[in-house]
Amino acid sequence: MEDLLLLAQASASTTFIQTLIKALALGSVYIMMGLGFVIIFKGTQVLNFAASALSMAGAMFMSILIADGGIPFLPFDNPLAPGDGETAGIPLWLLTIAITMVLAALFGLVIERLAIRPMIGQPLFAMAVITLGVEIAIRPFNIDATALEGRSLGVPWGAESWSLGDALVPKSYVAAIIMALIAGAIVIVFYRSRFGVAMRAVAFDQEAAMAQGINVARVFQIAWALGVALAALAGIAYGMAPFPPGGSVSQEIHPVLAFRVLPVIVLGGLDSVLGVLFGGFAIALAEVFAGQYLSQYGSTLGPGYSTIVPYVVMLIVLVVRPFGLFGTPEIRRV
Amino acid sequence: MKRMRWLIALVAVFSLFAAACGSDGDSSSDGGGDGGDTTDDTSSSGDDGDDGAMEEGGEVATDFGVDAENKVIRVGVNGDLTGPFAALVNEIVTGQEVYWEVFNENGGYKGWTVEMETLDSGYATDVGIQNYETLAQESEEGVLMITENTGSPITAAIAEDAADDNMLVIPLSWASLWPDPEFGATILEKQATYCVESINGVEWLSTQVDDPKLAILGRPGEYGEDGSAGAKIAAEELGIEIVYDGTGAVAGDDRTGVIAELTGSGANIVWTTLTPGELLDIFGNAVSQGFEATWSGNTPSFSYPVMMPSDFAAEFDKYYFQSAFNAPWGAPGTEVIVEEMTARRPDLNISDGYTVGWIEGIMAETLITAAIDAGDMTRENMVALATSGLEVDFMGLSAPQSWPNDYNDALVRSTWIFDVDAEAFNIIPMGEATPENPGSSGLIPLEQDYIGTVAADYVFDGPCIEPSS
Amino acid sequence: MAYRRPLLRTAYEQDAAILPTWFQRVAFFLLVFTFGLAALGAPFLSGIPSFFLGNTWINPITNMLPLGIAALGFMILVGVTGQVSIGHAFFMGVGAYVAVSLGGTGDGGWKACVPFHDEVGLLETAGQCGMGLPMWIWLPAAGIGATLMGILVSPAAVKVRGLYLAIATIGLIFIGLHLGRMLPEYAGDFESGRKWPKLQFKFWQEETPLVDMTSDGKWFGLIHLTEEQKQFFFLFTLLLIFGVITKNIVRSRTGRALQAIRDRDIAAEVMGVPEFKYKLIGFAISSFYAGIGGALFASYNGRVAPIQWSLFLSVDFIAILLIGGAGTIAGTMLGLIFVELTPEVVKKFTEWLGDQVGGGGLVGWFADVLLTQGPGDFGPISLTPAAPGWPMSVFLWNFVIFGVLIVVFMIFEPQGLYGIWVRIRNYWKGWPFSY
Repeated sequence: MEDLLLLAQASASTTFIQTLIKALALGSVYIMMGLGFVIIFKGTQVLNFAASALSMAGAMFMSILIADGGIPFLPFDNPLAPGDGETAGIPLWLLTIAITMVLAALFGLVIERLAIRPMIGQPLFAMAVITLGVEIAIRPFNIDATALEGRSLGVPWGAESWSLGDALVPKSYVAAIIMALIAGAIVIVFYRSRFGVAMRAVAFDQEAAMAQGINVARVFQIAWALGVALAALAGIAYGMAPFPPGGSVSQEIHPVLAFRVLPVIVLGGLDSVLGVLFGGFAIALAEVFAGQYLSQYGSTLGPGYSTIVPYVVMLIVLVVRPFGLFGTPEIRRV
Repeated sequence: MKRMRWLIALVAVFSLFAAACGSDGDSSSDGGGDGGDTTDDTSSSGDDGDDGAMEEGGEVATDFGVDAENKVIRVGVNGDLTGPFAALVNEIVTGQEVYWEVFNENGGYKGWTVEMETLDSGYATDVGIQNYETLAQESEEGVLMITENTGSPITAAIAEDAADDNMLVIPLSWASLWPDPEFGATILEKQATYCVESINGVEWLSTQVDDPKLAILGRPGEYGEDGSAGAKIAAEELGIEIVYDGTGAVAGDDRTGVIAELTGSGANIVWTTLTPGELLDIFGNAVSQGFEATWSGNTPSFSYPVMMPSDFAAEFDKYYFQSAFNAPWGAPGTEVIVEEMTARRPDLNISDGYTVGWIEGIMAETLITAAIDAGDMTRENMVALATSGLEVDFMGLSAPQSWPNDYNDALVRSTWIFDVDAEAFNIIPMGEATPENPGSSGLIPLEQDYIGTVAADYVFDGPCIEPSS
Repeated sequence: MAYRRPLLRTAYEQDAAILPTWFQRVAFFLLVFTFGLAALGAPFLSGIPSFFLGNTWINPITNMLPLGIAALGFMILVGVTGQVSIGHAFFMGVGAYVAVSLGGTGDGGWKACVPFHDEVGLLETAGQCGMGLPMWIWLPAAGIGATLMGILVSPAAVKVRGLYLAIATIGLIFIGLHLGRMLPEYAGDFESGRKWPKLQFKFWQEETPLVDMTSDGKWFGLIHLTEEQKQFFFLFTLLLIFGVITKNIVRSRTGRALQAIRDRDIAAEVMGVPEFKYKLIGFAISSFYAGIGGALFASYNGRVAPIQWSLFLSVDFIAILLIGGAGTIAGTMLGLIFVELTPEVVKKFTEWLGDQVGGGGLVGWFADVLLTQGPGDFGPISLTPAAPGWPMSVFLWNFVIFGVLIVVFMIFEPQGLYGIWVRIRNYWKGWPFSY
């Protein structure tokens, strides 16, 4: 009898560890995506509704670089791609991520130049609608490129796991957490730099910043480049198994990623990096733990109830703190 | 002043439209044969449209969707070409397109050729209904029959109108509702139903393990409930214990709860009625947490283009068996498809989807040729022919089928079961295939036209699920 | 009003008139006549290029009209009150479900309309909820139900502002979708939904309706109309009525109060316009419109799945408002026509272009360049489906063109279509000294 009890306890703690790791990993993806949102919002006051399409496009770049032998439209082969039936080593894979992020950043610059720059000074919602247009325009290319095949991301460790006692810890989850921590650290360091200060000044008052000699256009460029690169990184991280796309770019799952991150950035505050770090983990913990430990009440709570947990948390927090936990309250003047 | 450029651009666009308008007259006569007469026909058929049949070109009576003068029959496709099932549907529609190309190039039937009108619903019900209205209009602009209508929701939405309009519809949906004459009198369900597929699948799964314990995973809605209902019928008839019943439990983007229930249930066989994305997530997570069982599921749950590039290809190979309604690419019986598709679309990848398009084509051709022989190609007569017990022979692609007005008799009871072979998976453009390297979807038939003991004898007094009113 | 009209007004009555200038009066009646005649299939339309023609147009246009009513409500909330909400689809869904519960056919009787009746289980419900009541009950009730829901959420919505409000209301949509899954007795099947009551006037539950809109026939013994035309005229009349009501709200005391809140809420409060009260009124009015629009939309389509009330529907309204020009009824209508009909125009245009290939002349050349005819031809548009990679199928290009049009519009004309009109008007007003 005592043995059985011990066994139950052991398996309970195993479940707990696995759930915790899953929540932290999911939170890490939310954080990478959320940082992309926040940087663009802070630098340019644009809520980037195109984030879903952009992150999927980033994952597509990655897939093209690592999994395809040839480069579309160009006659020569991709020197980075591993041979048939081989997977890339970890250093090569990381290098490809870096190249992908550079490509995504360039893509961000193009979008910024074509669609955002002409709108400087226009109302917030006009800018948001522009990004919606960008989303609608880019998404068909993603669909077209993924439509007939899922696209492998060539993750070197595939779906392997480490054992931690009885618990299985997928390597991808650990990798996602590390990626998010590095991304968070880089963004925080960036914020403390001279350029980060300029960015904050622009966010505070564009005209005053310009009068102080800050190159506002440059700030816009950097914000979009960095924001899109981070969205791409989130798209790649979310593609690793056993995240839902299972190691590939998924037409079914990737396109809704950004909408799941909205509660995170609202919870933390639209313009707060620390808020995203906190909000990402908080929301993911709530979502995953509710899913795991309330599952026996599934028929009462409704199918897929854990999907709306983030929104419920968000609404509760907003009623108490209308600008999120770390957001800057708007000063209301007459 | 800078803003004036916008105005100028607007003017330019309008002048383009004007130019388009100018050359309109010549172009329409290019496309539609002889312009003047066509308009006359349309107006006259509009006037006495209620009278039904209009004698034209000798012996065949026609009403809508048929150009009797040029002997062109119009058939319609209301497909999901940009929505969640676009990947599959595009291939199926291409398969059907090539089918009609081949049909027309062989001279059609008694000089009649077929023209396909393709519309995109994006899997949105309101767009699908509008598309239906477009296809069903009672003039030459309409179509004789709809040879593909993607999805249960849109088929359910148009079923009643289709019966009123005498419009035959071949649905891309295997819900067990369609063979029921009360629910969809003109809906020609092809092959077995999800419910029958589940009955066969669960019975086959139960023979693969000792002491089977079944877990059922399904999404809410007709598709999911239909598949789960079949699994429950099989479990009851065979005395299999259901350790987790997740009928309608898989919804939303976060599936942690279902995975927790499944991995904790102790099941050793799992039957799924899901979308590929949902299956990939649940299967991947369950396997990653050390859950071992033999899996299978209704047809669209597993999709090789989605599963094979994922990191779980080896696990799918090991644990998953695919259930299906028809032969995969390259299997015996598909030689003609392989040959014609390769000759006409060498750039496209090999795919199992083309077969479904051909099956739809064979169904439509059988009906149309029967109508031509009968000398009556009105929509009304098409419906009469379809329900007269006319049998369609799919030439080994799928079991022969007819549509009598009795639910139990109308059902096809055979399905196929495939092994997933990750090593054999090799999707290449059709033009690059050689006898040594023919390409494969990685699905190896284990059972062809499999009918389990339960499915063979079970008496269905109606659909496995209640249609929502 | 965002624009200064170079018109001298000498009395308040002129300023507050529904259609203050002669041009607006003429334009309004012309518009009504054009739509009316177009719906009747008047012969003068044959001068329009062939991709505009065909009786396939009446379906998308009629489908647009209920959305127009909801868009007017959205305009009142966002354009007049200044509260950006993305939850409009949620309120449409509430209205539609109220309508179907009262007017739909149900097999469960009263019991089915009480959620969580016996054992709380999802798919074991006591049948579907539907009372079979006539339209004069379910249509107003749909509006009132949505209004109550709007009043319920407005205390929270008043507290949250700006983009935070916009995102918070996205939460409403997801919660609404979840409820749609949980309560199939109202929402019907998860994938295929359920049948909505038909558009027809009945006194009570009698067999033959007073006015039937679901079959061809004579109306009022005067004019022979098809089913589609009847529905068009009914919905068009409703849209006109709601347009007039909207105009009256905007130009009344309430409307001025709402605008004061939009322009500066604290200043408004200082001037004696209670912020909470009027934000609540704004939400209530807009939800009423959404409820009516949602009920009519579902009823016109006949069958609607719960997934219909999703984020994308709300996004449509944002696009309508900003493309049309926020804060004006005319702008909202222009935006509605643009957003709902552009995809249709693009689709018909590419179809028509496909017929022009090899036709010679400028148009033929244009078609040759744009369309691909098999390998080796570098046209970007493929007319066949199943085109992975380059060239893309025409169905996908429709979306690209729509997205690019939105971007281009907003860049060149952030004030929307209405702004273009204002500029043209001012240009000619000042002519020949327009600069």
